Amino acid sequence: MTGRIRPVGLLALAAALVLGIAACGSSSSTTTSTTTGSGGAAASSSTTSASSTTGSSSGGGFKVGLVTDIGGLNDHGFNHLSYQGLLQAESQLGVKGTVLQSQSGADYVPNLTRLAQAGNKLVIAVGFLMAAPLEQVATKYPNVHFAIIDSPGGAAPDTAKNIEGIDFAEQEAGYPAGYLTGLYLKAHNYTTASTVGGQSIPPVDLYIAGFQAGVKASDPSAKLLNAYSQDFVAQDKCKELALNQIQAGAKVVFQVAGACGLGAISAAVQNKDQAIGVDADQSYLSPTYVLTSAEKKVDTGVFTAIKNLQAGQFSSNLQEDITNGGVGIGKIGPAGTQWVSQINGIIAKMKSGQIKPPTTLLVK
Amino acid sequence: MSLLEDELQSEAEEAKGAAALSPASLTAFRRGISGITVPILTTVIAFIAGGLIVLATGHNPLSTYSSIFNGTGLNWLFPWVSGAERATAAGNLQQTLLNATPLILVGLAVAFAFRAGMFNIGGQGQYTVGWIVAVWVGSSFHGMPSLLHIAFAIVAAAAAGGAWAGIAGVLKATTGANEVISTIMLNWIAIWVGVYCFQLGGPLHNPHMPSTPVSSNVVSGAKLPVIWGSLQGLDVGIFISLALAVVFGLVINRTRLGYEARTVGFNPEAADYAGMNVGRTWIRVMVICGAFAGVAASLDMLGWKFNLFTNDILVSQIGFYGIAVALLGRNTAGGTVAAALLWGALLTGTSSRNFNLSIDPTLVQYLTFMIEGIIVLLVSTDVITLRLLKGGRRIGLTFRRRRPDDATATEAGAK
Repeated sequence: MTGRIRPVGLLALAAALVLGIAACGSSSSTTTSTTTGSGGAAASSSTTSASSTTGSSSGGGFKVGLVTDIGGLNDHGFNHLSYQGLLQAESQLGVKGTVLQSQSGADYVPNLTRLAQAGNKLVIAVGFLMAAPLEQVATKYPNVHFAIIDSPGGAAPDTAKNIEGIDFAEQEAGYPAGYLTGLYLKAHNYTTASTVGGQSIPPVDLYIAGFQAGVKASDPSAKLLNAYSQDFVAQDKCKELALNQIQAGAKVVFQVAGACGLGAISAAVQNKDQAIGVDADQSYLSPTYVLTSAEKKVDTGVFTAIKNLQAGQFSSNLQEDITNGGVGIGKIGPAGTQWVSQINGIIAKMKSGQIKPPTTLLVK
Repeated sequence: MSLLEDELQSEAEEAKGAAALSPASLTAFRRGISGITVPILTTVIAFIAGGLIVLATGHNPLSTYSSIFNGTGLNWLFPWVSGAERATAAGNLQQTLLNATPLILVGLAVAFAFRAGMFNIGGQGQYTVGWIVAVWVGSSFHGMPSLLHIAFAIVAAAAAGGAWAGIAGVLKATTGANEVISTIMLNWIAIWVGVYCFQLGGPLHNPHMPSTPVSSNVVSGAKLPVIWGSLQGLDVGIFISLALAVVFGLVINRTRLGYEARTVGFNPEAADYAGMNVGRTWIRVMVICGAFAGVAASLDMLGWKFNLFTNDILVSQIGFYGIAVALLGRNTAGGTVAAALLWGALLTGTSSRNFNLSIDPTLVQYLTFMIEGIIVLLVSTDVITLRLLKGGRRIGLTFRRRRPDDATATEAGAK
C-alpha cells in the first residue's frame, strides 16, 4: 500500500511547487490590480480594469456596451483606444459602460447578444471582423443601436439600418506624416522613405497611400519602398522588413502593422534613422527617433458615436477625418520641429479641402 | 489491455531500457496505473492553484468559481434556476457545447497518433485545410440538396485534413522523417495557403467584398441545423463529434487497424517482426487523425462560423488545444470527450460576459490560461510521478548513481 500513497505525496509536492510559482506570479498581478483600483475607473488611462463604472453616475441611465476583438484591452492600439473613448464618455457624458473582451471568434455573437439584451442603448463592435456576427445580432435586436469600427456599417448594401459604421480616412493621417518625411529627406539629402504594412487591407493601404502622396508632394524625387509583414503581432517580422528597407537606403520608416510594427520602429531606432508610428501617438517609444505618428483616433470615434446618440443622432455611417479630428498626426519629434508650422499649414489646407490625399498607392 | 500488448511492452522496455520508451507505451503505462484518478487530481489541483491566485489578487475564489460555473451554463441543469437566469444559462450551455464540439475531434486527432506512438502537432494545419475546403464547398454549389451539401462539405474537409496529415505519415514511412517536425512545418504551409486563398484577389476571396480579406459565406442550405437556441445556438455538430468519438473507441479497441496501431505504438520493431506493415500503419493512422481535425473544422464552419477571414487562420489555436485535451483525456475516447467538455466549459465560463464586473475581466481571462497551463504542466509531468510510483526501476538509472539505496526502496515499495 505504500506505493499507493506515493503518487498523492508527489502530486502534493508538485502542487506545492505550482503554488509556489503561482505565489511568485501573483505578486505582480496584485500590483496591477491595485494600480487600476487606485487609478480610479473613469478618466484614468488604466488599461486593465474594465469595471462598469457606476460610481457617482449622473445620467447613468444611458448604457453603452463595447465588445473588443481578440487582441484584448492591452493591445496598445485599437481595442485600447476604443476603451479610452468609452472611459472618456463615462467621465464626460455620464454614461455607464460595459466592456466584453472576445477570446476567439466564437465569442462575437454571444458577447454582442449579451450586451444587446442587457439594455444598452448603444453596442459598439471593435473591428471589421465582427461585421457578419453584428449583422446577425442587429437584425434580431432592431431597437438597439449598434456601431462598428472600421466598417461601412449600415451604409453598405443589405445591412441592418441600426448599425452605424465608424470609418476613418486614414489617408488624411498618412499625408501630413508623409509631407513631413519629404521635408526631412530633402533637408538631409536622403533619397528614400519606406512603409511596413501588416496586410494589404484598406485600413493599412489608405495610410500608406496618403503617406506616399505626402512624401512626393514635398520631395518629388524621393524613392518609396513598401512591404507587408502579413502579421500584426510578431515584431521580428516587421523588424526584418524594416532592416531590409534601411539597408536599401530608407531613412524614414512608417509602420502600419500594429504591434508587429513596433519591430519596424525599433529597427529604425537601432540604425539612428527616423520612424513614424501609427494609430496612437507612439512618440513615447523613442522621443528622438520617432518623427511623428499617423493617428487614427478610435477613441474620438467611439466618443463621438456615443455623444451623437445621446443627443438623438444616429447615422448609418460616421466618417472620421481630419476635419472633425478623427485622424491626425501625433507629437513631432526633434528631427522635425523646424517644420511644425509648415505641417500645420498643410493640415489647414486639408481641412479647407484644398488638398485631398489619394486613396490608392503610388508604389505597391 | 491484452496479454500480448503487455508482453510487447515489457519486451520493448527490457530490450531498449528507459530511454527508448515510446509515447504509446507511456500512455498505456499511465492508463494502466492511474485510470482516471490522476487526470481528476490534476484538474482539481489546477483549480486550487488558480483559486489561490485569485485569492492573492484580493478576490474571493469561491465566488469567482461559482461565477465560472454559472458561466459555463451548467446551472441550466438545476431545476430551480428559472426565468431570465435560465435563459442565460441555456445560452451559455449552448456555447460550452459548441466549444467542445471541435475540441473533441482535434483531441482525437492527437490521441490516435499518440496511441500509435506518434506525436501529431499538426492538428492546427489539418484543421486549417479542413476550414478552407469546408468554406469553399459550403459557399459553392448553390442549390444542392441541403443534406447532401452538408455531407459533401464534411467529407471533403475530412479528406483534405486526412490528406494533409497523410503527407507527414508518408514522409515518416518512406524516409523516416520525424512527424513532429513535418507536422509543424505542414501547419505553417496550411496557414499560408489559407492566407493566400482568401487575401484580396486570392483564388477563394469573396468577390463581393473587394476590400476585406474574407471568404464567401456558407450558403444557407449548407448550414448545420440548429437544435437549441437562436443566435449561434447549438447545432447538430455535437452529435457528429460524439459519434466519431465512439467510432474512435471502436476502431482503436475492436479493429485490426486499431490493434496494429497500438502494437506499432508500443514497439515498431516488434510489430514489424510480428509481420505488421509498420509504415502503412503510420500512414493510415495519420490520415485518420487528419480526417478528425478536418471534420472539426467543417463543423465549426457549417455550424456557426460561415466565413473565413485570413485573420481567423492566423490567430486560431484550436489544434494546439487538441494536444492538451488528448493529454488530459489519456488518449482514450471517453477521456477525450470529458477533457474537451471541461476545456469548452472553461472557455465559456471564463469569458468576460459571464462575470459580474467586480472581478477584473483581464484577470479572469488570464485565469483561464493559468488553469489550462497548470493542467498541461501537471498532466505532462505526471509521467514522472507515475514512474516513481510503479516504475521506479525505469528511471532508477538516474537515481541509482546518486542514491542506489533509495532506488531499490522505490522499487520495493512499488511492489
